[in-house]
Amino acid sequence: MALADLKGRVAWVFEEENFDVDLIVGVKNIKITDIAELAKAAMEAYDPDFAKLVRPGDMIVGGGNFGYGHPHYPPLRALSHLGLRGILAESFSPGFWRGEISMGTPLVSCPGILGLVKRWDEIEVSWADGVVRNLTQGTSLPFEKLSAADRLMVETGGLVPYLKAQLQSA
Amino acid sequence: MGRTLAEKVLSRVSGGRDVRAGDEVMARPDFVVVYDFPGYTDVIFRQMKEDFGIDRVTDPSRYAIFIDHMVPTATPKEEELHIQTRNWCAEQGVPLYERRGIGHQVAAELGYATPGAFAVHFDGHISQLGAYGTLAIGLRRNILEAFVRERVSLKVPHTTRINLTGTLRKGVMARDVFHHIVRVIGPSACRFQVMEVGGPALQYISLEGRQTICGLAMFTGAVTAVINPDEASLAYTTPRNRIALPVETSDPDADYAAVHTIDLTDLEPIIVLPPNPANTRNLSEHLGIEVQSGYLGSCASGRMEDLRIAAQILKGRRVKDGFSLHVIPTSQDIMAKAAAEGLIGTLVEAGAFTSSPSCDYCFGRIATMTAGQKAVSTGTLNVPGRMGSPDSQIFLVNAAAVAAAAIEGRIADPRKYL
Repeated sequence: MALADLKGRVAWVFEEENFDVDLIVGVKNIKITDIAELAKAAMEAYDPDFAKLVRPGDMIVGGGNFGYGHPHYPPLRALSHLGLRGILAESFSPGFWRGEISMGTPLVSCPGILGLVKRWDEIEVSWADGVVRNLTQGTSLPFEKLSAADRLMVETGGLVPYLKAQLQSA
Repeated sequence: MGRTLAEKVLSRVSGGRDVRAGDEVMARPDFVVVYDFPGYTDVIFRQMKEDFGIDRVTDPSRYAIFIDHMVPTATPKEEELHIQTRNWCAEQGVPLYERRGIGHQVAAELGYATPGAFAVHFDGHISQLGAYGTLAIGLRRNILEAFVRERVSLKVPHTTRINLTGTLRKGVMARDVFHHIVRVIGPSACRFQVMEVGGPALQYISLEGRQTICGLAMFTGAVTAVINPDEASLAYTTPRNRIALPVETSDPDADYAAVHTIDLTDLEPIIVLPPNPANTRNLSEHLGIEVQSGYLGSCASGRMEDLRIAAQILKGRRVKDGFSLHVIPTSQDIMAKAAAEGLIGTLVEAGAFTSSPSCDYCFGRIATMTAGQKAVSTGTLNVPGRMGSPDSQIFLVNAAAVAAAAIEGRIADPRKYL
């Protein structure tokens, strides 16, 4: 099984360093468990039409140390419910990285990404080539390779299927 | 090129070959330490059986479970979670430590901070065992791996070295030192790395203070923190160690990703403003903000030196009317010692509310704030909603500053009371 390349538009760019992902749904909504309700709150503070504008496969782009603070899982669940797949950032906070990779979320650590893309650019992440391509602007940048374990976790869909595959092959 | 403490420990637990930063390894934890919490332990116990068909962990003595959150319980559901944990531990033969205090502290008291050991948890604050030379890493949900197989997959982290120099002024405590480190090197300087703390100024920081500094390491981006064992730390750990291991220290010529020297001589008490743990300022520039409650406790404070300085400040004084001061010693051992020293009596006489150890004050499960309220806190974190309403605010300060704020009902400089 090969890791499927990501292709879609940049649905939003968070330029700030140390972005607290809880703000994606708003701290007051972090305890909502109903996924439809949570998805409704997602990005509302940034663009009230966000849910209407995004398409399956779209991605989020972030700045340095993305996910700093005390990241919870609901914001990414909400984005995933809207069809978003993958986050690209200048760099990630380790806690956020570990948590989301274990959920099978593709994360792409790509220094320079903020200079490469604008909102609604069409982009592609090629795992085999190790580059992010901006299809709209015809530019590209290399990204940092995933560790073998992280790659398998994203490929299999998360921690449990990854461990099942590992234990079976042992 | 020499090797770091992390490289040495991970070499031993990854089969003995010489591993270096950047290598991907399968590492066998010496200790798997967790507390019971919904979404973690209950899910792990179920997944072990249902997804992996595993009835028992191998070598139960490697595992330790703490009941320190939801203590005491407030709903039947919480008690059901604890019952499930008690039953699981009994069935598995896994040691359970209930109501002994906050697990990260109790783990040190019970010898899980064995120097040279590799420990894993889901919670990153376990990094405080690094104060004794234990490599202790929080894996979040990946902790499941440690319950379904012997080893966990890990990339050997690089290490950034922080040399502390100078002396500490009156009223400046270990958590000020940590917050100052964040201020100087930034909240991402140690991303995915080990933060190694050393230098001559360590002599002015107690073992408790070292735990505080190491326990907050995640806010520099670090996956854990370590301090090379020395005479003082070995005197604490040697009688407690659970297993016999070689004591590891980083070689003087270890290959560090970066080395920072931070002088503490001019350091003042710090305040970390909401809404995030990197918002570090001098306390003296933010005096006078009205606060309604104060929390002295958590795995990051609430130890003897914190209780002593609070008692020193509050002795013969009164907590301001209408101010809620919660003083929660971090473990039963600490509480007993503090009682024997008369500290608890002094604090209670001054108007503090105190209780047996619990994690619950730190995350707003109890002593919950409503919208518009502000607290000074020695807890771990100041993100919105951490101690109640998302529209309440948390100012992180040292224990002395919590005591000073309790007297005045506003953010105050503790140095005038010392």
